[in-house]
Amino acid sequence: MSQSLRPYLQCVRSSLTAALAISNFASQTSERHNVPEIEAASSPELLLNPLTVSRNENEKVLIEPSVNSVRVSIRIKQADEIEHILVHKFTRFLTMRAESFFILRRKPVKGYDISFLITNFHTEAMLKHKLVDFILQFMEEVDKEISEMKLFLNARARFVAESFLTPFD
Amino acid sequence: MASQTPAVVMDNGTGYSKLGFAGNDSPSFVFPTAIATKAGTGSAGGASRPSVANKPSFLASGGGGSSHLSAKRGTEDLDFFIGDEALAAAGGPGYGINYPIRHGQIENWDHMERFWSNSIFKYLRVEPEDHHFLLTEPPLNPPENRENTAEIMFESFNCAGLYIAVQAVLALAASWTSSKVTDRSLTGTVIDSGDGVTHVIPVAEGYVIGSSIKSIPVAGRDITYFVQSLLRDRGEPDSSLKTAEKIKEEYCYVSPDIVKEFARYDREPDRFLKHTVTSPNGRSVTVDVGYERFLAPEIFFNPEIYSSDFLTPLPNVVDGVIQSSPIDVRRGLYKNIVLSGGSTLYKDFGRRLQRDIRHLVDARIRASEARSGGARSGGLDVAVVTHKRQRHGPWFGGSLLGQTPEFRSYCHTKAEYDEIGPSIVRRFALLGGPGST
Amino acid sequence: MLLLDYENILIRSLLTERFSGAPPASIDQIVSDFDGVTFHLSTPESKTKILISINVKCFRELVQYGAQQVLEREYGPYIVAPEPGYDFSVVIDLESLPDDQEAKDDLIMRLALMKRNAMAAPFEKAFDEFAQLAEEASRYTSESAPQGVEEGGEVMTIHYREEEAIYIKASHDRVTVIFSTVFREETDRIFGKVFLQEFVDARRRVLTLQNAPQVLFRNDAPLELAGVPGLQDAGDGKISYITFVLFPRHLTPQRRYETISHIQTFRDYFHYHIKASKAYIHTRMRKRTADFLQVLNRARPENEERERKTASGRTFRVQG
Repeated sequence: MSQSLRPYLQCVRSSLTAALAISNFASQTSERHNVPEIEAASSPELLLNPLTVSRNENEKVLIEPSVNSVRVSIRIKQADEIEHILVHKFTRFLTMRAESFFILRRKPVKGYDISFLITNFHTEAMLKHKLVDFILQFMEEVDKEISEMKLFLNARARFVAESFLTPFD
Repeated sequence: MASQTPAVVMDNGTGYSKLGFAGNDSPSFVFPTAIATKAGTGSAGGASRPSVANKPSFLASGGGGSSHLSAKRGTEDLDFFIGDEALAAAGGPGYGINYPIRHGQIENWDHMERFWSNSIFKYLRVEPEDHHFLLTEPPLNPPENRENTAEIMFESFNCAGLYIAVQAVLALAASWTSSKVTDRSLTGTVIDSGDGVTHVIPVAEGYVIGSSIKSIPVAGRDITYFVQSLLRDRGEPDSSLKTAEKIKEEYCYVSPDIVKEFARYDREPDRFLKHTVTSPNGRSVTVDVGYERFLAPEIFFNPEIYSSDFLTPLPNVVDGVIQSSPIDVRRGLYKNIVLSGGSTLYKDFGRRLQRDIRHLVDARIRASEARSGGARSGGLDVAVVTHKRQRHGPWFGGSLLGQTPEFRSYCHTKAEYDEIGPSIVRRFALLGGPGST
Repeated sequence: MLLLDYENILIRSLLTERFSGAPPASIDQIVSDFDGVTFHLSTPESKTKILISINVKCFRELVQYGAQQVLEREYGPYIVAPEPGYDFSVVIDLESLPDDQEAKDDLIMRLALMKRNAMAAPFEKAFDEFAQLAEEASRYTSESAPQGVEEGGEVMTIHYREEEAIYIKASHDRVTVIFSTVFREETDRIFGKVFLQEFVDARRRVLTLQNAPQVLFRNDAPLELAGVPGLQDAGDGKISYITFVLFPRHLTPQRRYETISHIQTFRDYFHYHIKASKAYIHTRMRKRTADFLQVLNRARPENEERERKTASGRTFRVQG
């Protein structure tokens, strides 16, 4: 793990743990509704200050807390065109399967690659610290996966090119 | 370019895949839906992540000719065979065989994606960007499976357009070639009997009545086993599964009445046949073929002679299926009972089925006439349609519909997929249904 | 599967079956091949006479470059008047096949390679032109060479696909083959770029490939194509031009056949591998998604077994 990654992840971990202090809260605007306030954004007094943790201009995390829900958005490192397309493909693949991921938001917040929406119902049904673990593991692994895929692509391209040219020999 | 090329029709079944181009009267390729992969990577879906060759080739290219071999690492996903070649490869060392489709539904998407890739590029030899594709699915396929299919077809292969049709509906369309069928309706009961399982599927105006589908655990494989057990009982010199299958395919037929048929065999000894099996080493043995000629397919009509768990004869199942369907379509379902799949090819299968179902229906009508005290019923028409394309019914139906000029307008295109996403394939306009020519 | 086959596997297997003495049956099949080529196999007169017709999109251009002669050379006695809607037809009579197995196999293979042979014409022409130019050039020093020899032959254009073309140009010391290819999708374009870069680098990097043709790639039309009509402008980077420079060692009569077969498959090989990589990446993503799900499911507390009550408040007890 590189030097700047550890503090970055540590910072996300503590900010996220703090933000996950959420509780059940019925909607103030429509009766008998209970909506994630961060998404509805109908009552400003229920929203807390959003927080950005950034490692550099390409990698950052936006944490938007509210009284009953937290939205976490991640911008994944994309150094070049290839990584960009791979990140795009992967996040799209994941969001396609959002149904089974519970906390995955089907559409990322603008400016970010992938977003999670954690409501009080999630924190009640699941272990809070494990949820945080999941987000952090996701952040770590996704970088690894993207760079592995990129390596694969280069290796494959090289192999394919060599194999095509060999019969000419 | 996609405007001139024939559509590709792929019917991937549990046992066999049928591939070909729309407009043809038979599939170009029929081979087992099997994929042989390097034993280490595939079979168990292993815990290990696929490995990457990240070693640049200049490091490995020292030894001249060996560079090619060492560069092979990280390419095990290209090292596989499908179809008959897969069966052959799995016989040798290093490869394990996998069947990506179980019970009609795709279970292993990784294998299926590669199976398709090889089907398209090696066998059909088409650039998927130039062709529209017609795929089939079993009845009651979950929409998620459709979405996964669309994801592969559009994102991996960039195919120009995609239509996914239900096999039973295509089997109905295939029956339009029969001279007995006068109106091209998509209402009818499909009896689809392949190798593993037999389905009875009612279809009303192109839509499957899901709640009424019944499956019967008696199909081609069971008939083969039954023939084999009869051969063993008699102590024939060769009672291998392969021989049993051959005998089933070549000699079996459906008799109108087994008791009479037994008597006939005793009267006419020339009904007993001899089957010659030539083994690979050149030796040949002769196997007697006797009562199994009509007894084997009889397990559809009298399952108790084969199985002790499942005892409902096929005609009763069909009748039950139609009776459980909405009342306003029942007449249409009785009128158009369509056979599909290899295990419906026995001679006189359709005729016997039609007779037995008619008996059931007539008995019910008479009973209700008696109960109503004098009211006369107009009668109910029962017709079982047998046609030439039965064996690859769903494929042929796909070929038929895929060549119609309006087929392309029913497909979802790559552009639409990019716009809306995989959920687009949850709905397809009904091809060949009312309103189309 | 790594390399694509040169021949059409369906034609091959179908003819192998028919030639082996299987009972004659009627055939009527439309078969597609890469690059929009369509075959029609049929038995219009009798079951023993198989008519094979081919439709190639750019057949008119190929004829200009001598396709008819190449096909006549390959299929001489079998050629018949083209079936309507098709460009070229042959009839094989199963009753008058060559006797020995080897000749039969050869015939099957030649028929299965019909697309390859049709497309081979411009390549053969270019290779001949090269031989001629090389011959002429050897008579001059580089200064005194007349204009024509220095510049080489004209550029032959084959629009083998709707938006894509092959350009072939012979010079006195090389034959240049340029493929233009279009990426309809962003992912393909980027993957394609990675692949093409490796094609360019392969020769430099790997010792054993020193003798392979030089490969160049760019997004605007190469200089060789200056003045060729109908070039599309590649402002958006969707079109790529891939240049293969074939050196005299690839053009020798012994190597010629193999070189032509192989280079023809380039475009489809290349697109096939882009797609195969995407399939592999899908495999990885499926695996990774399953991993993530597992991690997430760890957050769900286990043994959520709650007491079940009936409406009247009584509970069930599991008999241990």
